[in-house]
Amino acid sequence: MSPTVQIEGDVGRVVLSGQFDFSAHREFRQVCETLIADPVVKEVLVDFQNVNYLDSSALGMLLLLKEKIGAVNKNLALVNCRDTVRQVLEIACFGKIFTIR
Amino acid sequence: MRILVVDDTEAVLLLISRFVEALGHVAIPARDGGEAIRIWREIRPDLVLMDMMMPVVSGAEAAATIKAEAGETWVPIVFVTGIGEESRLAEAIEQGADDYINKPVNLRVLEAKLKAFQRTLALNRKVREQSAKLADYYARAEEEKRVVQHLMEQMVNAERLSDAQLEYWLSPAESLSGDMIAAARTPGQVLHLMLADGIGHGLTAALNVLPLTQPFYSMTEKGYAIPDILVEMSKKVRQVLPIGRFVAVVLIAIDEANGCIEVWNGGMPTVLVVDDAGEVCHRWASRHLPLGITETHDVETVTERFYFDSPGTVVAYSDGLIEARSADGHSFGLPRLQQLLKVSARRRLAGVQAELDAHLVDTAHHDDISLVLGHFGARLRGVAAEEGRHLSPAVLSALLKVGEPAWQYALQLGAAELKYLNTVPFMMSFINEIRVLVPHQSDVFLILTELFTNALDHGLLRLDASQKQAPGGRERYLAARTRGLEQLESGRIDIELTGLRSGGQNVLKIHVCDTGPGFDWRAGVTATDVAHVQGTGLALVRALSSALIFRDPGNDVVAYYLLDTPPA
Repeated sequence: MSPTVQIEGDVGRVVLSGQFDFSAHREFRQVCETLIADPVVKEVLVDFQNVNYLDSSALGMLLLLKEKIGAVNKNLALVNCRDTVRQVLEIACFGKIFTIR
Repeated sequence: MRILVVDDTEAVLLLISRFVEALGHVAIPARDGGEAIRIWREIRPDLVLMDMMMPVVSGAEAAATIKAEAGETWVPIVFVTGIGEESRLAEAIEQGADDYINKPVNLRVLEAKLKAFQRTLALNRKVREQSAKLADYYARAEEEKRVVQHLMEQMVNAERLSDAQLEYWLSPAESLSGDMIAAARTPGQVLHLMLADGIGHGLTAALNVLPLTQPFYSMTEKGYAIPDILVEMSKKVRQVLPIGRFVAVVLIAIDEANGCIEVWNGGMPTVLVVDDAGEVCHRWASRHLPLGITETHDVETVTERFYFDSPGTVVAYSDGLIEARSADGHSFGLPRLQQLLKVSARRRLAGVQAELDAHLVDTAHHDDISLVLGHFGARLRGVAAEEGRHLSPAVLSALLKVGEPAWQYALQLGAAELKYLNTVPFMMSFINEIRVLVPHQSDVFLILTELFTNALDHGLLRLDASQKQAPGGRERYLAARTRGLEQLESGRIDIELTGLRSGGQNVLKIHVCDTGPGFDWRAGVTATDVAHVQGTGLALVRALSSALIFRDPGNDVVAYYLLDTPPA
């Protein structure tokens, strides 16, 4: 699990892969911090296209990210959530506080 | 470095010692192997430079002794050897010597070797320090874990989990569990169950779920309902946990007396109700965010109800169960769990355990696994059939004349307070403090609840109890009640608890009076099925109390309860 970053215009995309759990903690945080600090980026997308599993600590990381992004007035969306990922997000009712596309 | 220099030739000893000192080290001279051992024992130098061929004790023997006694500490031993000593040198190195230098000693080479050993010694010391530190950390972590484990056990209160209506199974992924199961009963005997899952597993997860226990137990004991308990839990979690930490939780209330199960599910897998045959007849999917994410006033505390008229089981579990993966990567899955429930009620838990063991074989599960089964309906309470313990007319008339109460607790509530006050639980904290009442909490709670509900619902809000009988009627009734309470502008309810003593008996007098128009209580007295006339509760009150006296126009009621006999 090594997150990669793509920047297109004012949209920064964090592409995750494999298992998204606590082991991804440090890298995920670093990647997100660069996007938060980048003045060009107005919206951050977390892309779950290649994620096949995420656990509750991953949900915690998303909450932290939401908090930080809210503090700098940028937008956040979770995109390409399929199968298991969608299921986990639904059980946690994250649709109530996140934009999921 | 402090260097022990050993040689039986005075000239060589002097030469090497001077040179070592010139390099900034401390030289400690010895003239044979025996002396070398003695000095080593006393001073513990950092390195030994030693001749092979010496009288008394040879270099090789001294080296073996020093190495053996040094144990874990590494003391480099360098032999200074003459030509022709190669075979003995090989032996000595095999026994633990570290290096050698040929005679005549090339001082440039010796300097280089000492530098190399100094570097290695520093490295060696660092490793030893770190491993000591690591061992220390480990010991401390283990101790902390032990303390937390003890704390958890105390706070989770395993005693109360041994409820006849409840079966459960909890298998932590590590020594501490981030899943928590708790159970307690309200004074009215409603069984409250909680299943919570903190983020991750191990110590931090366990710490996440701990704040839930205190509000759960203390509020359940006072008779608070699930929504009130949730608000307190949310406050506790918000107060204690940092951002990014949350607790998924499901709260279940099984009310046997009213045939109702109430559930609030925030972030836990779907809770199921299965009937006697194990067929799923109701589901509660997660409808809310886990606790700790939103502000407490944003938490929707609305529960969803299910009414039962036949026995069955409520099934709650953590995601660790259905996601438990076998060695070949297959998860246990919900369909399999549902299949396993299709056996008789008391064989369900063992069946799931056995199947999961077979599924995992020897693979360790990576998340905490928990399963809770709450059985209901086995002893549907026959309210009408219950025997009351009635007072003799003589005792009753004596009670009516008693002037001096032993104690009294009175409460007068207007419309404004009735809107928000949770009256009966509020009064229960008083009742729990009065010694003579403690063994009768449950009965007193029921009588008080029924009389108060009667005064509020029918006296002030004028709700029609008979509508509860229609399909979906109970939900409509509760909605009408909420609406009525919001719009309530006038009216009052007076409640008075009095401790009396008459004819050698302790009696509790409960007096409830409202400003509503009253009702035809005589019809209720003569009808065998009083429930249909005036709410489900009056028959229950009549059965529990020793005497029930209405005053016209029926908005004033007194119940007498005998405190000296053990509770029913």
